[in-house]
Amino acid sequence: MKLSPSMRDSTRRVPTPWPAIALISPVHFLIGAIIFVPALYVAWLSLTQSSFGQQPVFVGFENYAQVLGDPYFWRALGNTVLVVLIVVHLELLLGLGVALLFASGLRAMPLLLAAVLAPYAVSEVSAVVMWRYLFDLDIGYVSQALAWLGLPALEWAINPTHGLILVALLSIWLHLPFTFVILYAARLAIPRELYEAAEVDGATPLQQFRRVTLPLLVPAILIAVLFRYIFAFRLFSEVWLLTGGGPARQTEVLAVYLYLEAFRYNAFGEAAATGWLLVLASLILALWYLRRLYKDMFATYAP
Amino acid sequence: MHPRSFLRSFLKIIAVAAVLAWSLAPILLIFMSSFKADRDIFAVPPRLGFSPTLDNYVALVTRWGDFFSGLLNSLIVTVGATILAVLTSAMAGYAYSRFRHRILAGSAFFLIFIRLIPPIVITLPLFPAVNALGLSDTHLILIVLYATFFVSLGTLVMRTFIDQIPKEVDEAAHIDGATRGQILRKIILPLSAQGMVAVAVFVIVYAWNEFLFAFIFTTTRAKTAPLVISEMIGAVEGVEWGVLFAASTVQLLPILLFVVLAQKHLVAGLTAGATKG
Repeated sequence: MKLSPSMRDSTRRVPTPWPAIALISPVHFLIGAIIFVPALYVAWLSLTQSSFGQQPVFVGFENYAQVLGDPYFWRALGNTVLVVLIVVHLELLLGLGVALLFASGLRAMPLLLAAVLAPYAVSEVSAVVMWRYLFDLDIGYVSQALAWLGLPALEWAINPTHGLILVALLSIWLHLPFTFVILYAARLAIPRELYEAAEVDGATPLQQFRRVTLPLLVPAILIAVLFRYIFAFRLFSEVWLLTGGGPARQTEVLAVYLYLEAFRYNAFGEAAATGWLLVLASLILALWYLRRLYKDMFATYAP
Repeated sequence: MHPRSFLRSFLKIIAVAAVLAWSLAPILLIFMSSFKADRDIFAVPPRLGFSPTLDNYVALVTRWGDFFSGLLNSLIVTVGATILAVLTSAMAGYAYSRFRHRILAGSAFFLIFIRLIPPIVITLPLFPAVNALGLSDTHLILIVLYATFFVSLGTLVMRTFIDQIPKEVDEAAHIDGATRGQILRKIILPLSAQGMVAVAVFVIVYAWNEFLFAFIFTTTRAKTAPLVISEMIGAVEGVEWGVLFAASTVQLLPILLFVVLAQKHLVAGLTAGATKG
């Protein structure tokens, strides 16, 4: 059979780009050795019974059954979902508001930008110091202000719901700069002419927002929200440093639950099962993004 | 002035003031309070005026020597992680910008896919492995961990920046007899310096502030500053707020100054990393 030139072209072997492989190998070595292989090993661990210094024994899905039957797991899952939903969506609203405010033209922009980005530089540990002090029941400024206004105090150390509210507040404060920057950059990328045209057509500011700004911001909003979902889901330090999961394990989130299972209760199998449930949740959340990414990558590198 | 536009600018000023208060008040509060004597910290209701004192800093130096070795550890780990992440990301970013092949498509996907795995998950097998290798409580393990968790983003950001350098520049150098290594070192890296700074900003902020890995993998010798502060929080049940404020201020000020100075690069890196993914 004779091959047409185009077919022969497509079946011809593309030479392996050895220099490129050499250049990307350090990055892939790091990721493979530190993240990928250990993650696969966690999958194996999750099917075994083991603790420190013991030989793992294969137990099938017993660990998953154990974890899924543990009320503390469900409590941690519920807390995580609650905090993630509050944090990501409030953060989106606030970030959008600040981005639009800044895009409307203000004086002293570099200074204002620096101020809004400042929490990005703050460590979780220092942020916990700040917010614990602000909400300290005896001397905290916010607690005193609430009392002065006749409002009830946020009893974050005693009341689990209040504890989670403080965790959420703290998380929003720390991560607002990220959401803001993504949305602000996207808003600045919208051509001015679109607004001029809308104005000529007599669109009110609200109509301009709904018909021009919002539709054009959707891709950036989706990206910002996706990243924040994935990162908020791993929430650990804020909870650990603020409440330690207490009182009575009532404010644990999934990462804290995993940590305690592994490093306090020595239940590596259960911790590994929890870990894989965390990974799976992230993958499911990001499925549409991964599909788009997969197509993009092959369109760019192997057309 | 038109009454409606007056109202609008008035509301805008209120909104900007609220945004500034939200972002800066917690930071200013610990900064100011670090210069307060105990009687002012514990004053109810809060007093506006106070006479500044260095007592908290003196107490920090005399009683928490650990904190300063923590700062030194943080510095070593941050510098190491930054160099490792920036160099490897720049090399990979160059390859992803200039070469085309199925292997690169698959590996680029893998690079971003891996970001979905939460750090705490991999501590389970790494903890015994790191102990067995004798790397527990060393700077090296934190350097490698911090760099690894940023090479994905770093590679993306570097690729975006290197894409902006015209290919003709490489080709001209190639015709003049430059090798790939020379092109990378003498042309690409200097021209993509902004990208390297953007990557460095991410890694520096992350490595300087990170808590989880430091908490799990270090105990004494390589303990970083955030970990020491967290121990101080644990120790303040009697509540030594003053020392805690002083330590937080010392840990925060250099990195805050750095972020403010490098804000242009931070914004460029964040947008390149999030949108080009």
